[in-house]
Order: sequence, then structure tokens, then C-alpha cells
Amino acid sequence: MSAPSPEIAVEDLVLADRVRIEDLVDREGLEELCRSFVTLFGIPVRIYSVEGALLADAASEHELCAYVNTLPQGRRACAATVSGVRSQDPGAGGDVARPCFTGAAYRVMAIQYEGRRVGRLIVGPFLPSDVSGPPASLLAVDPALDAERARALLQKVPRAKADTITRIAAHLKAALDLILFSGHKAHVTSQMHLASVRESYRQLEEKTAKLQEAFDRLRELDRLKSSFLATVSHELRTPLTSIIGYSEMLSQGLAGALSPEQQEFVGTIHDKGQQLLSLILGLLDLSKLESGTMRVRMSRIGIEPVLAQVVSTLTPTARKKGVELRMVVEGTLAEVKGDPERLRQVFINLVENALKFTPQAGAVTLRARMVEDAGDGDGEGLVLLSPTRTNLEVRVEDTGIGIPARERPRVFDAFYQVDSSSTREYGGTGLGLSIVKRLVDAHAGTVRIEDNAPQGTVFVVTLPPPAPTAPPEVRSPG
Amino acid sequence: MQINFGGREIALKLVYYGPALSGKTTNLRALHQLTSDQARGRLMTLETRDDRTLFFDMLPVTLRAEVPAGGMALRIKIFTVPGQVLHASTRRLVLQGADGIAFVADSQLSETEHNAASFLDLRRNLSELSLSLRSFPVVIQFNKRDLPQVRPDQELAMLAGRGREPVFKASAVTGQGVLETFFGLLHMTWTKLDAEHGLASMIGIPAAELLPMAARQLGITTDVRELLGASLGGRLDVGHGGRS
Ligand SMILES: Nc1ncnc2c1ncn2[C@@H]1O[C@H](COP(=O)(O)OP(=O)(O)OP(=O)(O)O)[C@@H](O)[C@H]1O
Ligand SMILES: Nc1nc2c(ncn2[C@@H]2O[C@H](COP(=O)(O)OP(=O)(O)O)[C@@H](O)[C@H]2O)c(=O)[nH]1
Ligand SMILES: [Mg+2]
Ligand SMILES: [Mg+2]
Repeated sequence: MSAPSPEIAVEDLVLADRVRIEDLVDREGLEELCRSFVTLFGIPVRIYSVEGALLADAASEHELCAYVNTLPQGRRACAATVSGVRSQDPGAGGDVARPCFTGAAYRVMAIQYEGRRVGRLIVGPFLPSDVSGPPASLLAVDPALDAERARALLQKVPRAKADTITRIAAHLKAALDLILFSGHKAHVTSQMHLASVRESYRQLEEKTAKLQEAFDRLRELDRLKSSFLATVSHELRTPLTSIIGYSEMLSQGLAGALSPEQQEFVGTIHDKGQQLLSLILGLLDLSKLESGTMRVRMSRIGIEPVLAQVVSTLTPTARKKGVELRMVVEGTLAEVKGDPERLRQVFINLVENALKFTPQAGAVTLRARMVEDAGDGDGEGLVLLSPTRTNLEVRVEDTGIGIPARERPRVFDAFYQVDSSSTREYGGTGLGLSIVKRLVDAHAGTVRIEDNAPQGTVFVVTLPPPAPTAPPEVRSPG
Repeated sequence: MQINFGGREIALKLVYYGPALSGKTTNLRALHQLTSDQARGRLMTLETRDDRTLFFDMLPVTLRAEVPAGGMALRIKIFTVPGQVLHASTRRLVLQGADGIAFVADSQLSETEHNAASFLDLRRNLSELSLSLRSFPVVIQFNKRDLPQVRPDQELAMLAGRGREPVFKASAVTGQGVLETFFGLLHMTWTKLDAEHGLASMIGIPAAELLPMAARQLGITTDVRELLGASLGGRLDVGHGGRS
């Protein structure tokens, strides 16, 4: 990536800039300006760039010139005069007069901007006030010249005193200077703007690159952490399985009968081993989810069998606690795209929680139904999108201790448990919901918490329908 | 500085730096007003509607050696930077290629910290351009002396005496101290560049002639020595720090 060089030196923009009339001034505007002078004073005006290009020409031919040009030698003499005037340098003083053989005259003046010559102004032909009749040079220019006619036409050439021309030209130059200044200012502003934007962009790119670097490093660290966790959990699980297995065999009397006290101790070893195992399994799941190595096998599935299995798995627990566990299906459920094994894990966790935090004689209801997606955003394309947005909603409702609103965003954090003093009463590690959240995310679903009036909690899991069948080229990957 | 032998020109860039609203634009306006248009051009201001400098202001001054056979022209462009924090990138751009800096501080006690922050900003920007304040022609102006609750005179005199940069007191709204600051800056910049590049002989005048010539062409009648004499402390005459 080639960042723009910081050397977009402003002096290039402003300090050493070559101001060129043709870059700063609109051509037509310049012509208009000149024409207005011609209209006012009747004297032709032309503007040339420093390089000699004609920029504005508001000259209308005098009748005398037109007449002279009908004569072969007259035309030649005229062309010679005009080209001489055109290449005339305004000299150190910036103002020279140049006569024409007809007795008329031109003035060639320098146009200055900020002390530099940027062009030339040519005024004329006009008739100097001291010329009374046709000079010999006019009368002799062509044998076919009609002297009377020439005399009459000469009188029609607008007359001007030298200092009148000077004043007119000064006025025109002042107007032009103002226009040049405005154009220059606009030019500089836009150049400066551009340079500033480029400079900001350069800085932004620098920062972005730094951030990206930091981000990459963090992500790598994160990956290392996850893989470390996965390895460690795996290494812990292997000996633990042996501890659980052997303590089970001991308590079953496979190594000889145990005294009641021994039985109790072995039972404790077994229970604690189980606890440790579920903690490790939870950590393992979490780290797999975090490192993105958990495999989720998506297919079109019905959710009912999954929920039914969850209920049958947990019915014994519910019974033991004296909590009623029900499943309600409202209407017909559409299929969702999901991994039945992972979804079962989601609802096992949620129902386990519901049972755990609901006292005796309470009720836990697993309710499934289709809901219309309110959509995100401000309803853009709602009419188009909402028909394709019928989501499956599964609600896990309990009549338990509830979760205060301010705790709700945090219970999905790993290891977070509401009110740690009372958690001891319920046990657990605080991993369940963080796994739920990640699994639901992996299904492109959402999970949120609502109140269950008058008391208790509802965990609402929403799962999107399989993507609408779109033409192949716009189907989202995966 | 840019030397254009073909165009027979030397271009200098002077920058008025300082915190937002310290009076940089006002300095340029005053300079524009106090000088004749023989040598200085139109003041170009690029301001937002609320009078804040958007990109910069710029006042061109062209001095021509008064010698019979073509000396070079000295084109000086005086810039202000936009003071608002927002315009950091523009400030850096304007600073590029600067030959001298006038730091315009707001004398009000309440602005002391802003002045300091802006000066640090200047130092940072210079160092990003691989320039160091130490070898740079810098003058400091304490503007808005007309207001109440300003840093007291004795304090300025005392600190100026200890500091490196010449300090000028000014009230730019009335034009007071503005020429002094400008000539102080021109003097330091000229002295340094002449020592390094022999500008005086290039232009075709004795080095000591530049300031009087500038004053003459700008239509200033005050004696240049008097203008420079207004500086407090600092080392106005040791402008060629680049050599030591
Ligand atoms: N249905 C519920 N009613 C009230 N509080 C709940 C409910 N579900 C979760 N919580 C609160 O959220 C916390 C986090 O739940 P989570 O499932 O992540 O952890 P846990 O159940 O404490 O432990 P684990 O699931 O790892 O055995 C719980 O400790 C509890 O404070
Ligand atoms: N009282 C007082 N006000 C000043 C002085 N100089 C500038 N100001 C005011 O300070 C404000 C900001 O000045 P400006 O030149 O725009 O500041 P900049 O942001 O540095 O260009 C304006 O309202 C000026 O009128 C001064 O010497 N005295
Ligand atoms: Mg749990
Ligand atoms: Mg300003």
C-alpha cells in the first residue's frame, strides 16, 4: 500500500504557484468582461496569456480596417501590423504604444498578478486624438485606395486620448485582478482542502495499520489461550475419568464390601469427581466455541423432537424438586436450520437453570411458537422482508427467583453468577449461559431475558428460518 | 525557502502560529492595513462563516532590490494556521517549508494553558517535519495587551529575559506591536537564511539593507531599529542559530 507522501508541500500549492489566467478565469466570463468594455468605449480589447495564446477577443472590425482589407496590398500591410502588435512585448514599463499605417494606434500592456506578469492586454486600434487626417502611409498603401473614402472611414474610428486609454485599461486590469484573485483563492482553497483530506487520510491509514497489528496480535493470543485451554482440559479429563470410574467400581463393591463410612467417602469422591468433570467439559465447550473449533452441523430440522427429548431428560430432576415441567407447542412449527445436538444442549442448560432457580411447587414451561420478526432498522423494506422473517421462538418460563434487570446483560458472561452469596445454595459454575449464548449465536439466533409476571424468568430463544431460497448468485455462503 | 533563478525570485514563507482565537488573523489584517499596496498584495483569508480560520490566511509581500541591473525579487508569503484542534492536519501542511514562525499567544491569564498546549503542538509538528525549534527563527508575540486580566508586564519581561525567543507585546486590533513582531521575525529569518545561503549577495544588496528596504517598500516610516528595539529579552541578533 503506498501511502500518499506527507510532502504535499503547501508551498507547491501557494508559494511557488504559477498563476495562469487561463486556469483561474472562466473563458466566457473573460470575453464578457472584454465585450462590456468594447460596448462602453467602442475600442477593441484582446487578452493574451504570457505564452501568447489569445484568451479573449472582443474586437469588432472597424469599417476602415474592413475596407483596407479588400485591397490586396492593404491586406498585406494590415496583416503585418497585426502580427507585429500581437508579438509586441509591453516592455519594462508594462505599457507601449504601437502605431498602425492607417494613423490609428494600439496599446500593448502587461497584466500583472501578485507582482508577476501573467498576460498581455491589447487595446486598439483607436484613433489618437492628435491625428486629424489620413497619413501618407495610409494613402500610399495601395494604388487602388479611394482617398476620400479612406478619409471618411478614418473619422469613424473611435478617437481617444492616450491617458483615456490608460484609464480604461487600468479599470479593466483592476476588474481582471479581482477576478484573478477570486479564482486564485478558490483554487488555493480547493487545493488546500484536498491536501488536508489527504493528510488526514494518511494519518488514519497509519492508525488503522497500527490497530490492525494490535488486533492481529490479540487474536493470535486469544487463539493460543483457547488452544491451551482445550489441551489442558483434555489432559485433566483423562485422569479424572479414571478417578470417577474407580470410585464407581469401589462403591459398587467390585473390590469388596465397604463399610457405611467408606461408602460415604467414596460417594463424595465420586460426586466431586463428577462436578469437576462437568466443569472441565463446560470449559472445553466454551473454549471450543471461542476458538471456533466447535463443529456445528446444520441441517433443516423440526424443533419438537429436540424439546421433547429435553423434557424427558429433565423430568426426573423436576420431579425430585417438586417442580412441574411442561411443554407447550402453539400452532404449527416451521423447520429451522440447526444442529439438533447443540440445540438440545441449549435447552438442557436453560431448563436446568429454570429448575434450579425455581422453588418447590413452581412450574417450568417450555413453549414453542412461530413469531413475526419485528426486523432490525427502521422498517426498511419491511413489506418485502417481513414475510420471510417468521422466526421460531422457544420460551423457557419459570416461576423462580427471577433475574433483576440490571443483571441480565451480565449473566451470559462466563463464570458470572447473580449474587454470589446465594449461589453457593444453588451450586454451578456460571458457564451454562455463556455456552448457551455462543451456541445460539452460532445458529444466527438471539437469546434474551424477560420477566415472567408475577414472578420468575423467561429465557426467550429465537431462531431464524432457513434462508429464503434466493437465486443462486445472491445466496449467502455457508 | 525556494530559489528560482530562472524567475529571478526567492520565496520565503513565514507562519503565524498559535492557539485558536489568539489573534493571528487580526495580525495579518493589521499588517495589511499598516502597509502600502506597492509591495504587498491582497490578503487572502479562508474563513468559515463564524470567522474562524478554515485553512489559513495568506498575505503576499514582494520586495524588489533597488538596484539598477536586475536584482532578484524576494517574495514573502505570510501565513496563519487554523488554531482549532480539529485542523491539525492543515496546521502541519501550512507549517511545511516554513522559514520562520511568529507564535501569537493570547495574553489573558485564562489562556495560559492554551498557549502552552499550542506551543507543544508546534514543537510536535515541527519534529514530525524533522525540524527543531532550537534552530528555527521564532518570535513570540503576547497579543491582546489591551485586555484586563493579562499576564503582567514585569512577568513577561522577566521571563523573556530568560527565554530564547524575542518577545513582543501587541494589541493587534489596534495594530500596536504588529509591525514590531513582523520585522522581528523578518530580521531573524533573514539573518539565518543569509548566513546559510548568502541571500543578500544573491539579491544584490548588503545584508543590513534588507529591513530598511522592506520598510521603505511597505511604506513604513518608523525606523526599523526602533521596531526591533521593542523586543523584550530573547536574542534577536543571534538569529543564525543553525550554524552553531
Ligand atoms: N432461570 C433463572 N432464574 C434465575 N436466575 C437465573 C436463571 N438462569 C440463570 N440465572 C442466573 O444466571 C447465572 C448464570 O447462569 P449459568 O447457567 O451461566 O450458570 P450456573 O447455572 O450458575 O452454573 P452452570 O450452568 O455452569 O452449572 C446463575 O448463576 C443465576 O444467578
Ligand atoms: N481585545 C483584543 N482582541 C483581539 C486582539 N487581537 C485579536 N482580538 C480578537 O480576538 C478574536 C480572535 O482573533 P483572530 O485574529 O480571528 O484569531 P485567530 O484564530 O488567531 O486567527 C477576534 O474577535 C479579535 O477581534 C487584541 O489585541 N485585543
Ligand atoms: Mg446453569
Ligand atoms: Mg484566524
